[in-house]
Amino acid sequence: MVRRPWLKAVAALAGSVGLVVGTVGVAGASAGLHHKAAKGKPIIIGAVIDETSTMKPFDQPAIQAAELWAKKVNASGGVLGRPIQFKVYNDQLQPSATRSDALKAISQGASILWTTCDVTFATPAIQVGLAHHMLVVSPCTGTNEMGPSRFGAPGKLAFSFGNAPTSDGAVLARLLIQKGWKTATVVTDKLLTYFVDVCQNFTTDYQKMGGKIVTQLTYTTGDHTVTQVAQKAATSSAAATVLCTTTTPTLPAFVTSVRTLGNTKPIVGPWAIDGGFWEPSSATVSNNIWWSTYASVFGDDPNHQIRSLYSQMKSKGETPQTGGFVTGPTALQGIIAAIKRTHGTLKGSRLAAQMVKFHNVPTLSGPVSFSAKFHAVVGRPYRIIEVKNGKPHFVEMLAPGKYAGGA
Amino acid sequence: MTVLGYLVDAVSLGALYALIAVSVGLVFGVLRQVNLAQGEVITFGAYSLWLMRTLPTWLAIVLCFGVCIAGSLVLQVAVFRPLRGASPLTTLIATFGVSYGLEALWLIVFGPSGNTVSMLTNLNDALVGGAVALRWITLVEIGAAVLLLGGLLLLLFRTSLGMRMRATAEDLRAARLVGVRIGRVVTWAFVLSGASAAVVAVLTTVQTPLVTPTFGLNLIIVALVGVVLGGMDHLGRATAGGFVVGFVNSLLGSVLPEQQLVFVTSLTFLFVVIVLVLRPAGLLAPRGANVERV
Repeated sequence: MVRRPWLKAVAALAGSVGLVVGTVGVAGASAGLHHKAAKGKPIIIGAVIDETSTMKPFDQPAIQAAELWAKKVNASGGVLGRPIQFKVYNDQLQPSATRSDALKAISQGASILWTTCDVTFATPAIQVGLAHHMLVVSPCTGTNEMGPSRFGAPGKLAFSFGNAPTSDGAVLARLLIQKGWKTATVVTDKLLTYFVDVCQNFTTDYQKMGGKIVTQLTYTTGDHTVTQVAQKAATSSAAATVLCTTTTPTLPAFVTSVRTLGNTKPIVGPWAIDGGFWEPSSATVSNNIWWSTYASVFGDDPNHQIRSLYSQMKSKGETPQTGGFVTGPTALQGIIAAIKRTHGTLKGSRLAAQMVKFHNVPTLSGPVSFSAKFHAVVGRPYRIIEVKNGKPHFVEMLAPGKYAGGA
Repeated sequence: MTVLGYLVDAVSLGALYALIAVSVGLVFGVLRQVNLAQGEVITFGAYSLWLMRTLPTWLAIVLCFGVCIAGSLVLQVAVFRPLRGASPLTTLIATFGVSYGLEALWLIVFGPSGNTVSMLTNLNDALVGGAVALRWITLVEIGAAVLLLGGLLLLLFRTSLGMRMRATAEDLRAARLVGVRIGRVVTWAFVLSGASAAVVAVLTTVQTPLVTPTFGLNLIIVALVGVVLGGMDHLGRATAGGFVVGFVNSLLGSVLPEQQLVFVTSLTFLFVVIVLVLRPAGLLAPRGANVERV
């Protein structure tokens, strides 16, 4: 279903002052105050996303940040004189709605499709986009399946600006080696292929870097065995525990069990555990926990543009819970770069042909590279976050290094 | 972990499912209707603990009981009373619809990310560390189940209310003919069911503090299987069935080799299927008992 126009109007009105100030401030600093607003025919991006259900925490901040970024772009002349316009459809992750919303977006003038951050949920929309020979992007899908690996040859038109799991695994391996944690317990939640992929990549890369896996443990969210698994992890002699899961109820249950059984060693996870909202309140339990992410949402990101964007969203009452929000502007920057490289065409095959050649294209979240093999981002540096005594904070930037592409 | 550790864990999870099973079994016992929305009462209770996180713990828990009992009574008045006399299948589908609707409501009101309850966290501390890995919450769960189930037994077999409940469960029409006020008995069944849901909400949030919209649903599905396994038409057997399912699930999680852990749920359900093939009336039902599952 399409977002109500009056809601957008009210939201726009309510946030207009902050937006104008923020937009002028940021755009003025980087692009000068004398740009004329874009007046050409709008480039319409149809975003078929979830604003209600389980993907809402990922999809909504990304699109909200992208819309803010689009306003900034439009205020400083647009893309070759044409403004960017998002049309947002809330599919609530229902396959039939996802497909019909994608068709509706196309009938309402969308030239590019933007999907939810889970490739399985997004598939009905992706298939519609590919059938219409359109460029299809996802801001933060964390697998390499937005592309030919899942959709065959037509999938050449699909890309994700999320990190490939090879990168996620490699950066965790580098973090452990860098910190001197030479032995690890690996705990994999088998709920999603993504978790399995990240932990497998971590294991491979970590061993190549000289690390030793002491114990491999698994559970599946919903099978009610997390407590037993946590007890095994707690008694492991490893220097650190790597946990590949997301912010389901099993995550705090695992952390609580490990800590209360006396294990205070580092617990390390991928972007999927980003955000402090799930942490148990006890400072002794929520301590020595680490993860990699796209941006810090704890007010200390090293990039001032990200801090500024975060502040704008916060002032609008759209505070993002995870650093994934920057993938929205990142995806938009990628789309804009491709359009500029094709001198303004919106033809899917030509945009994709440019996008697949991306090599360290600068974006808000860092350099973005694609290849024929990887339609998700590899090699981009991550923010490392540490939770210390219940308080998450930015520690450092860390690139996944040479193993990012699954070497 | 040691064998003792495995067994204590298994008894603990079994006790939790027994508590959920008893809350379903109580309503089924007097009404012969399955309440699939019972999981949402647990979720409601867990969210109430989060909403009342600034209050003293004892007060929040008392209010959680109030919320669960009230939620249970609302279900009785809004769903079960209008459908009294309807086929069990009608009520089953109606409560399924209510459950689905409430889950959507939690999603809209509380969002999908979850809310962390930080109550009685000290119960997670280790009583015995090392290989045994025994935590206070494990013992509290077992203790709470023993107390609650024991109390329920006393209520059913040592009080006039219990006698009326048993009479209603045996034959509703006959009970009414001999003067039992059925409405009152049914209300008490829902009150006890709500109280049991509150105990589950409190105990579960200690171990799993992140409350999400599917919090109770994840519990009720397994517990319902246990109820069917034990024998739905008998409260004691239904409760035992809940215990058995939790026990088997936990034990499999402890003893299966690492690579086979992904099959825990499948093997648990396989166990249930085998039991029902061999004993269609339920694990503990007498041989030759009537098979009436839903």
